[in-house]
Amino acid sequence: QRFRFCGDLDCPDWVLAEISTLAKISSVKLKLICAQVLRDLLGEAIEYDKILKLTSDAKLESGDVKATIAVLSFILSSAAKHNVDSESLSSELQQLGLPKAEHASGLCRSYEEKQSPLQDRLRACSLRLSQLGSVRWRVDYTLSSSELQEVNEPVVHLTFNVRDREQEKVTAVPVTLSANKFWVLLAGEVPGGVAAETSV
Amino acid sequence: MLLVLAAEHRAHLGCVPRAGGAGGAAGRGNRAEPGRGCSCVCSLSVLTAFGELGRLALEQLRRGAAPRACETAARKLNIDVDIIQHGVEGLVYLLTESSKLMASTPFHKEISEVDFQDSIHVLGFSDELKKSLLQLYLDNRKEIRSILGELTPRLPSYHSLEWRLDVQLASRSLRQQIKPAVTMKLYLNQNEDQTSQVLQTDPATLLHLIQQLEQALGEMRMNHCRRIVRNMK
Repeated sequence: QRFRFCGDLDCPDWVLAEISTLAKISSVKLKLICAQVLRDLLGEAIEYDKILKLTSDAKLESGDVKATIAVLSFILSSAAKHNVDSESLSSELQQLGLPKAEHASGLCRSYEEKQSPLQDRLRACSLRLSQLGSVRWRVDYTLSSSELQEVNEPVVHLTFNVRDREQEKVTAVPVTLSANKFWVLLAGEVPGGVAAETSV
Repeated sequence: MLLVLAAEHRAHLGCVPRAGGAGGAAGRGNRAEPGRGCSCVCSLSVLTAFGELGRLALEQLRRGAAPRACETAARKLNIDVDIIQHGVEGLVYLLTESSKLMASTPFHKEISEVDFQDSIHVLGFSDELKKSLLQLYLDNRKEIRSILGELTPRLPSYHSLEWRLDVQLASRSLRQQIKPAVTMKLYLNQNEDQTSQVLQTDPATLLHLIQQLEQALGEMRMNHCRRIVRNMK
């Protein structure tokens, strides 16, 4: 059976198995655990002790606590990934066996509040090889040189600051251009030549 | 399968009863008379010395050489540090070689015990010492085998894969294109380091790649592989 929140694929077996663990926790506590898991997905620190305290009444073992966090992470991030609205998510979770009245609706309400920030965060985390941080420039005017006494030419210095995602490093790439070359860079071709097509 | 112990190893292991004997002699102090039960006093101290050496050998297997622990043991037992060191090294070699060569299955348990006893017979230990040595080997055999199993060289292994689907619409040279491309970053683990590889391909090549990998997986279901897997279990 296909589920939208799993990307129109079958639901993974481990998620099916852990839904019953979720049903053991009371719905109020489930909503609070959801809030913690959402914090973790949004990049803030997760407060594991609070989760342990919340699950202590349901008498879950440590393996079950971790499984609960994992299955909630999966459901919330997968729903955001496939842009599932909260009603569809609620009905699909009920199909999987999560009791409607409190658990599914509570979970989906937490999801609905944080759906946009979650999607923004996932978009920011997408694969990106390198990123332009900033560009600095300076225009000089060369008066003369050892080769020619009167040069009188402008020269453009550019520095591209390229940010590498993984190592969080910023590399500076310096480029020096003559005025003509700078016009080529800006316009896409030699000035005075045929103008570039603008229709797409 | 018998262990063949080289002369050097036998000399190292021969330190063990000597260690016990020396400790016993120092412990007895200045009593000149050959005390009653002196033989059991001797063997008791040999056994404690042996227990100490056994413990040091296991620690060395788990965590690597610890010269300070050897020195404390030497002071406690009143013996030379060198004798302790050699004894520990000899024990480590004996334990790793026997764990390596003499695996046990439910059918071969008696054989490997007998082999071990025959191998250490050449050392000429007393019977209690031989029994404690055998016990030390049997108790820790599984753990030593798992430690030895982790020492194999490792190829880079898969950690995770990030991917991205792009469509190129235009470039400086050509406008109005449609060129899809899949960009992937493959994260690999090698000896606790993480390396990454960036790959880019078009969807047709990606489909071909998937098809080849599925063919490789499908090979597991062929009769030939099935027969081998059944015989290995």
